[in-house]
Amino acid sequence: MDPSEVEFLAEKEVVKIIPNFSLDKVYLIGGDLGPFNPGLPVDVPVWLALNLKQRQKCRIVPPDWMDVEKLEEMRELERKENTFTPVPSPYYMELTKLLLNHASDNIPKADEIRTLVKDIWDTRIAKLRLSADSFITQQEAHAKLDNLTLMEINTIRTFLLDSLNCMYKLRSNLQPGSSKGQFTDY
Amino acid sequence: MDKQSYLPVQPGVGMEDNFLSLDDILLSHQRLPIRTECVFPRLGFLEKSTDTQDIPLGTKMELPLWLSKGLYERKRKVLSVELPKMYREGWRTVFTADPNVVDLHKMGPYYYGLGSQMLHFDSPENPDIAQTLLQTFIGRFRRTMDSSQNAYNEDTSALVERLDCLEKALFRSGQSGLNGFQSWEKGQASQLTASNLVLNYRKRKITDLQP
Amino acid sequence: MSDALSDHGSDIQQDDSQEEDVMTPAELIAKLEEAWLNEKFSPELLENKSEVVECVMEQLTHMESNLQRVKKGDVKASVHRMEIDRIRYVLCSYLRARLQKIERFFPHVLEKEKSRAEGEPSLLSPEEYAFAKEYYANTETYLKTVALKRMPANLQTVDLLKAVPEPCVDSFVFLRVKERQENILVEPETDDQREYVVDLEEGSQHLMRYRTIAPLVSSGAVQLI
Repeated sequence: MDPSEVEFLAEKEVVKIIPNFSLDKVYLIGGDLGPFNPGLPVDVPVWLALNLKQRQKCRIVPPDWMDVEKLEEMRELERKENTFTPVPSPYYMELTKLLLNHASDNIPKADEIRTLVKDIWDTRIAKLRLSADSFITQQEAHAKLDNLTLMEINTIRTFLLDSLNCMYKLRSNLQPGSSKGQFTDY
Repeated sequence: MDKQSYLPVQPGVGMEDNFLSLDDILLSHQRLPIRTECVFPRLGFLEKSTDTQDIPLGTKMELPLWLSKGLYERKRKVLSVELPKMYREGWRTVFTADPNVVDLHKMGPYYYGLGSQMLHFDSPENPDIAQTLLQTFIGRFRRTMDSSQNAYNEDTSALVERLDCLEKALFRSGQSGLNGFQSWEKGQASQLTASNLVLNYRKRKITDLQP
Repeated sequence: MSDALSDHGSDIQQDDSQEEDVMTPAELIAKLEEAWLNEKFSPELLENKSEVVECVMEQLTHMESNLQRVKKGDVKASVHRMEIDRIRYVLCSYLRARLQKIERFFPHVLEKEKSRAEGEPSLLSPEEYAFAKEYYANTETYLKTVALKRMPANLQTVDLLKAVPEPCVDSFVFLRVKERQENILVEPETDDQREYVVDLEEGSQHLMRYRTIAPLVSSGAVQLI
């Protein structure tokens, strides 16, 4: 999957905005939105929030977890634990990038947040590689991957799945009878 | 998004081989040392070293994998295949000791592919060969992963130099995962580019104009 | 603000209640997205979701015809257009993913279709079936023109069913559990391991062989990720 497609999915997440215009309810195919009143917070999907923001029609309220103190705690926990700790949002990386790139003026300490999230990401990716390696060397058949996000899985997906496939084929060499007929005749 | 305008057929790993895979076609051209176990009548012209009419029994020569596989039969011995040296016991011991020190590109470049294909020929050593192939792959996995996931925006030729073809393909898929993410992070992912097909088409047009 | 857009929501509800399944448009879109991800990540071609595709198409056309009546520069209309574009992307990407798989596995896809028991639903939509057949014929003609016809008479055929690799259902996949499952058998990878069972808790994520959970993908109990 292309990372931009993961981002596309992240754009469906809901975020609070404070509009500076008024508009009745919008009946989208995917559900109703609004009504919008100046100064009154309202929930919208990220794709719409970013669009309105670009047209200077709203202010985006950053999600609760996008906060230096909370993220620092998370970073410490992530570094301390060997397993993957629960993430504040299944799209924490994508949302950080999207909101910081398009609405950094609405997010206090944007630069610090960017660094913290990147630290958390790096720690988790290092863990992911460790687990991938042990999954291969132990020749496991099943792994539980709670708390991993789609973007994290996505960075290693093709590589890991292709490797597992190769390993499977090399392992089936061990039981020569199990493979297809001696010589395939086309 | 997929940048390729067509889907190449992937090589079959292990004992399978894919008829339409370019890699497998190249693999099937690897030469194997063989010994003839019967007379090959009127085929002497294939053997450049002598000018007899037939290839006599007991001649040692090299044949491509596809031909050896085609002529090999279990019941009626037409030829026997010698194990290439990197699959023999001496090298197997080296692989078992530390699979990371071996230059599989030099050895191969189809180390895993050819090794698996060798299992088509009866040999008491087959179980050991299969086991060594698997353990070598596992033993080298970490290196392949780390190098493919850490090298961003640098010359990777030194990293892939010692990899076998199969590992190289894995290295590339690791790199595409990493590069995809990095360019997304930098905001380059959203730029749409013309498909290869269109670009090639334009190129062809220009060359057509300059005969 | 145009009334054409405001009454849209209630319109749909009525349309749908006449059909067998009562599904809100939002649920329909969710279904499409599920099908999209499953198709993207499963190693084999899944059953076609023609009804979902058709309903989504209907929704899009309906919405687009409503938008025709709205004057340019309308804020609401631009929001609707963005949503339509997003849905259309998923729809196209889903159909494209299926076509790619058909191109990759065409002889096997057609073989499965041939051996399908009566009454059993087809993997392919009628359009996809036509595509697969044409792709098969084109490949055969191509091979014949460029090479086979120059071969000795006894070597002029290629068994495409053998020449084109089958989907590898032993591939691993990532999945998220939507409905709790008990006693899923995990087969051992090596001789010195033993098989064991796992429970798949709702909301948990796993990495395992596609073969083990393939029926759960079609039933909708797990989502590939």
